[in-house]
Amino acid sequence: MAGGQERILRRRIKSVQSTRKITKAMELIAASQISRSQARIVANRPYRHGMRRIIVEAALADPAGAAKLLATPTDVDVAIVLVVTGDRGLSGAYNSAALRAGERLVRKLRAEGTHVRLFCIGKKAGAFYRFRGMEVEESFVGFVDRPSFTDARRVASVIAAPFIDGEVQQVLLVSTRFLSAATQAVEVEQLLPLAMPAVPVDNAPTKLKGYTEFEPEVEKLLTSLAPRALESEIFSALLEGAASFHVSQQRAMAAATDNADELGQTLSRIMNRARQDSITTEIMEIVSGAEALRSGK
Amino acid sequence: MATLKVEIVTPESALWVGEAKALVARSSDGDFTILPQHTDTVGDIVAGVVRVDTADGEVAFAVHGGYFQVGPDETEGVTLATVLAGVAERTSDIDVARAQVAKEVAEAQIALETRNEQHDTASHLLAHADLARAELRLSAASK
Repeated sequence: MAGGQERILRRRIKSVQSTRKITKAMELIAASQISRSQARIVANRPYRHGMRRIIVEAALADPAGAAKLLATPTDVDVAIVLVVTGDRGLSGAYNSAALRAGERLVRKLRAEGTHVRLFCIGKKAGAFYRFRGMEVEESFVGFVDRPSFTDARRVASVIAAPFIDGEVQQVLLVSTRFLSAATQAVEVEQLLPLAMPAVPVDNAPTKLKGYTEFEPEVEKLLTSLAPRALESEIFSALLEGAASFHVSQQRAMAAATDNADELGQTLSRIMNRARQDSITTEIMEIVSGAEALRSGK
Repeated sequence: MATLKVEIVTPESALWVGEAKALVARSSDGDFTILPQHTDTVGDIVAGVVRVDTADGEVAFAVHGGYFQVGPDETEGVTLATVLAGVAERTSDIDVARAQVAKEVAEAQIALETRNEQHDTASHLLAHADLARAELRLSAASK
């Protein structure tokens, strides 16, 4: 019956509207997190650059020690892959892009005969790979929304241990880089041996002259510096991942809100037509009933 | 005139940036002082108090281990001294009550694990690190 259809439509409109409320709220929350997480990236920059500058300085002074810590390994038997995703979904392609890149990387390494040990940051990564029957050694969860330096430190110590023991020759990081508010991209980076960028820092104030003094001697310094540099790199990856997550969630939720608006509009149009139809039918019935009565007289 | 620019930087923020007369800290080789036009140096800083001597008096920081670099700044004639620390705070910002509580908690933890002969567990090492941090905060704040 026409009235029944109208009631069903009214119920669907209500459900679309309440979904819209949720997506709108998530959009606003994500938007408020964006500027905060972006500010943290900016605040982290001096430390990150300072760390790189020191590493480069020390590496130049001690090429032999640097070769061990900084070179790209030629023969990798075992590699660690560390994938960074979010703890939560509803964030567009943020998680899936990193997960797919991670999977591709693992497949490529395995094809080359490298044994891969998988580590995950964020609930989504652990769940995804475990579901696919891949062994995840450790999954770090609960801090990706707002990573602290202590979290980065904890991850770094777990990741670095097998490398220092020589069980692993390479550590690769798959994470989303916050290139700008408009672009984020999944990148694969070598964490260990420490990958030093060709241009260490934009506008590095230090001109590398090679007669820098070291306290204590550079060999000792470089060894103790390496874990700190790793922490710093992981921390900035976490910060950029968090910012990317919020941006992508905000965008996804804005799109969902728009879709809900559109769906609500379409549904109410259909509902109005159904109501009109039922009114028309009723009038027809009354008119034809009256007609029948009159002609029956 | 030769000037010295000092930056105290942690992963969370640049804690302090400004012009100074001298920077005093301790590396694993011993105490050192950085003055304007110091030669280029890279080194570590052991947990302790880092002092920055400025025109308006002294600013002190509790630095829980880190590194420093001295080099020329972009501006001609300025020496730049950067201190990188995983954890650091201005001594005036230290919450003494909180540090005291942290110290007691860490001591209790250590005492408990020593009784149970768990000397090399991760939590035991962490408790020792917590204790060291709390003690440094207390001693830095009391100066």
